[in-house]
Amino acid sequence: MAYVATRGGERAIEQSERLFREEMGGFDRQRVEEVKKSLPYLIDRVMGEASLYDEDLAALALAQTGGELYEAVLLLRAWRTTQPRLQVAEPIEQDTLFTHRRISAAFKDIPGGQVLGPTLDYAHRILATDVLQGEGYAPEPVEPAANPSPAYQPSVSAWQAENDLLEQPTPDGTTGNDIPDLTREPLLFPSKRAHTLQSLARAETGGVLALGYAAMRGYGQAHPTVNELRLAEAEIAVTHPDGRQFSAGRVKVSQAEVVDKKGEKLGIGYAATLGWNEVKCISAATLDLNSPGAEKGSATEEEFFLYHTEGVESSGFCIHFKLPHYVTFQSSLDAMRDAKAKKAEQSKSSDMEPAE
Amino acid sequence: MDDTLGTLARADEAKLKTFAETLIHELGEIEVLKSQSGLVMLPIRDTAKGVAFHLGEVLMSEAHIRKGDAEGYGMRRGHDLEASMAMALVDLAMATNVRVSDCKAFCDAQAEALQNADDDLLRRVEATRVNMETF
Repeated sequence: MAYVATRGGERAIEQSERLFREEMGGFDRQRVEEVKKSLPYLIDRVMGEASLYDEDLAALALAQTGGELYEAVLLLRAWRTTQPRLQVAEPIEQDTLFTHRRISAAFKDIPGGQVLGPTLDYAHRILATDVLQGEGYAPEPVEPAANPSPAYQPSVSAWQAENDLLEQPTPDGTTGNDIPDLTREPLLFPSKRAHTLQSLARAETGGVLALGYAAMRGYGQAHPTVNELRLAEAEIAVTHPDGRQFSAGRVKVSQAEVVDKKGEKLGIGYAATLGWNEVKCISAATLDLNSPGAEKGSATEEEFFLYHTEGVESSGFCIHFKLPHYVTFQSSLDAMRDAKAKKAEQSKSSDMEPAE
Repeated sequence: MDDTLGTLARADEAKLKTFAETLIHELGEIEVLKSQSGLVMLPIRDTAKGVAFHLGEVLMSEAHIRKGDAEGYGMRRGHDLEASMAMALVDLAMATNVRVSDCKAFCDAQAEALQNADDDLLRRVEATRVNMETF
């Protein structure tokens, strides 16, 4: 590569980092707590993209970077590599998800019913400018129902499979360290399904939306209908040294199934991520639905969308262009000057030729 | 799934630590095999093809202790080595018949508190159920 080692920037580099941090100001545990409490959906997005679930660490990363999301995710991904892996939990099954929200745009009367849960889907988007004038904002309290909602529901696709609307998948039975893991193996193509879905789970939300949206607008082969969208908490099923299994706590997860008519049955795409992030899951599931048979180099082809939605790699490649490229650029200038000189020489010699 | 361990893993951390502290004297000398934080990889099964894949890792605290042949184990979310050790102490106490009825009473009270919190949440969720009519 045509990079060149340079000297003379050490002080400037040190001072530039100081300037960044000085302009942002100091932060402490209290700031981290405020970020965690006030921005739960941003925390979820960062945890999903970092593929590291801990609200304190995500809030710390946001506080430390001033909300520069790519830097925050990079900090968390880097920190993750310093930690030992204690166990691989048992795979989460659909009917063990503690469900807060479960809706379907495909079927009105899904078993278990439509439960909206926490959402702004039907809210008026009005900025609360009164707050800037000193008014407080206190949300209206929920009026609880007399009976609790059933916490556990199977997936909508399981019900459809019972009704012969789509193929019932056979669980693969892979568990523990046998499950393919992108953090320990390279992504190769054609990609293993476990790699594809893991990569989408930790993908950058905006990238997934951009490519998923391209498919939704018509650059894909299948138009998605949301079969099931679910926000839930999942149990972390770990194993005691004596062999007993137990839940070591819950984490927020979101998932989406999207379907499209495919012959006599429905085609289905699936995606899930850590934290609650509906846009990412619907977009990722749309890419999954469209990927079989997609044209090479199209937005819905797996190599294209997996490489281009990996946020740490793509943002890292983008910002590397800020690094000194003096030699490559000098080489380009030399080539331009050379071409210009040759052209001038050519035109001079043609001027000197005698007229016929 | 073991409900007692599941309850201890989600029990109120301050109450768990306070209760576990009362067990230390009676447990006597114990060997600490592990007291550390680290990551647990969390897979989920995809509903389209039935494949298990990794969602990402969760920060956990783990404690593993031993007294004679009996083992105590604690694992909880987040970085709190005292809380995971407290869980392991309660687990070891029950495995070695130390104040078992107190341990069970503590777990029952915590299980009830967790259930009440879940019920309260799910009643609020139920308020968002759509009773759809078409016309």
